[in-house]
Amino acid sequence: MTDRLAALSGQALAILLALALGAVVILTVDENPLTVLTTLLRGAFGSPDRIAGTLLQATPILVCGIAACISLRGGLFNIGIEGQLFMGGFAAAWVGFSFALPPFIHLAVAIVFAAFAGLLWIAIPAWFRARYNANEVVSTILANYVAILITSYLTINIFKAPGGLSETPPILPSAWLPEFFSFSRLNWGLVIGLVLAVATHFFFLRTASGYAISEMGANPKFAEYGGIDIKRQGFFVLLASGAVGGLAGGIEALGVHHRFMEGFAPGFGFDGVIAALLANGSPLGTIVTALFFGALRNGSLLLEVDTTASREIITVVQALIILAVSAQITIRRKASDSTAGERRWKF
Amino acid sequence: MEILERLFNVSLIVATLRTTTPILLVALGGSFTTKAGIFNIGLEGQMLVGAFFAVIGTIFTGSPWLGVLCGVIAALVLAYVFALLVVTFKANEVVVGLALNILAGGMTISLLTAIFGHRGSIFGHGLVGLPAVKLPFARELGVFGQMISGYTPLVYVAFILVPLLVIFYRRTKLGLYIRVVGEKPEAAEALGISISRIRYTSSLLCGLLAGLAGAHLSLGYTTMFTENMSSGRGFMAVAILIFSNGDPWRILAGCMLFGFSDALSLRLQTLGISSYLVLAVPYLVALAALFALSYRARPKLIRETIESMSRVLSVKPATESGKGS
Repeated sequence: MTDRLAALSGQALAILLALALGAVVILTVDENPLTVLTTLLRGAFGSPDRIAGTLLQATPILVCGIAACISLRGGLFNIGIEGQLFMGGFAAAWVGFSFALPPFIHLAVAIVFAAFAGLLWIAIPAWFRARYNANEVVSTILANYVAILITSYLTINIFKAPGGLSETPPILPSAWLPEFFSFSRLNWGLVIGLVLAVATHFFFLRTASGYAISEMGANPKFAEYGGIDIKRQGFFVLLASGAVGGLAGGIEALGVHHRFMEGFAPGFGFDGVIAALLANGSPLGTIVTALFFGALRNGSLLLEVDTTASREIITVVQALIILAVSAQITIRRKASDSTAGERRWKF
Repeated sequence: MEILERLFNVSLIVATLRTTTPILLVALGGSFTTKAGIFNIGLEGQMLVGAFFAVIGTIFTGSPWLGVLCGVIAALVLAYVFALLVVTFKANEVVVGLALNILAGGMTISLLTAIFGHRGSIFGHGLVGLPAVKLPFARELGVFGQMISGYTPLVYVAFILVPLLVIFYRRTKLGLYIRVVGEKPEAAEALGISISRIRYTSSLLCGLLAGLAGAHLSLGYTTMFTENMSSGRGFMAVAILIFSNGDPWRILAGCMLFGFSDALSLRLQTLGISSYLVLAVPYLVALAALFALSYRARPKLIRETIESMSRVLSVKPATESGKGS
């Protein structure tokens, strides 16, 4: 327990260090760090609709974060969540505007399609990773660019709605995720995310396959000697991660935008990866970090209105936090068992 | 037939060489870290800050050469942070690389807003690109002369670096040390080579070339900066590095393949194919190449190093082991 406490205080120290560095960065762009901080807080929590906005921003980050947790637990890096999110979002929107189905059934079908699209999108990189050890970090990153371009193509060249905007026709209301309040688009997607986080937590904590996946992440060789087919299992871990990534896109399309458009979800996939890393691959921890990043994102919207700073300053702070924490994060793939000199990455 | 003629001609070769250069420079930079056994996914970010600060430096000093210097310095700073975290703090390479890429993207946009008051692109503001080099003997060579003359200087630098790096890895002590550290760290330790020093050196050499690649992107390839203008070239370079294993000739071959697919896809656009699909071609080529070549094993490489190591060591056995640590 004391180990855990030490690790936690280390994490907190790293975050403080990163925030201090962030303050320096803010100074260099000619803003007062204190003003920036209070503006951020006001933007994130200043009123009920702002709090709802924070939760709304946190939702896709949370779902993407769970997708990242699943792969990180298995010692794999799915950096292609952004692409899976775009594919899932488009698939959900397509089901939403192309078919007329009864309420709830329509929604369910759209969600299943979103997850399936994400799964399909990672299937090829996952298969080559499992079969030939093709580096999944690079293949999933490159697949992001392709996914964004393909969905743009489908949106603008094939399914474009009449009018000047680059977007698909609207999703029929029968496939919308119901909203909680009249003043915000906050919807049941958040509940889906929370349930998924808890379910993933118990999956890794209580089930045999969850244990086997963690085992593989901690020490693949040991897991293999223990009789786990790590190639097969790695394949399925990536598929599951991709499916959750697709689901995140579905939730965005069905809950927030009610359509698919160009620039659908800027950076939620990457934020999810960062949130999962900061939570050290824990799904419950990702709830906290996703809320943190959601607040930063929502606060930064007001920041851009009230000050001259760009909202991208938030990205800088997030990256600094990860850098500061990375020095002590123990992602499973880090070869703590090998000597310092050994090649830590097998191409 | 007419379509083929419109697609394949001398200017396609020129375009290929142009589009090959930025990715070739950054991939050659990555060869240092790959050979030293570091998986460097931070190339993308180093290239981006290189491009950004090259433009800033040019605008504030008026000289594109000082701009290139600024770009290189910025990339070196990022490379140093990468080495600090990965080598000294033993942080995970993928996490650090990813975070530095995100940092580079956010930082360039923030500074863009802070300095120019808007995001997106900057051009004008007294921004001048690197001058084109007209080779004096090119005119007598006819079509071939057209193919090799008139590029910006960093194009020549990139292509000349390929054989130079081959010699560097085969013939110089530092090159050999980098390979030993990457492939047989136990042997390096036994020889008294400081693994961390070699890894720092290769990371900084990588930053140098990645910075040049970025500067070329914003001052040679185009004369402007656009947010996220490296647009995945760093990641493509990493894909090339994986299947080339850092070997300069294979890097050249891989980069030419991308340059060609890039140049060809730009022409396909003129035939009325959707630009979105056309723009996806280089990424698809990278993925296809990564997958197609991923099953190949690499025991041969390690054998080669041991052979050349014993060759070099047998020439001067006594002095070799003491240095570099």
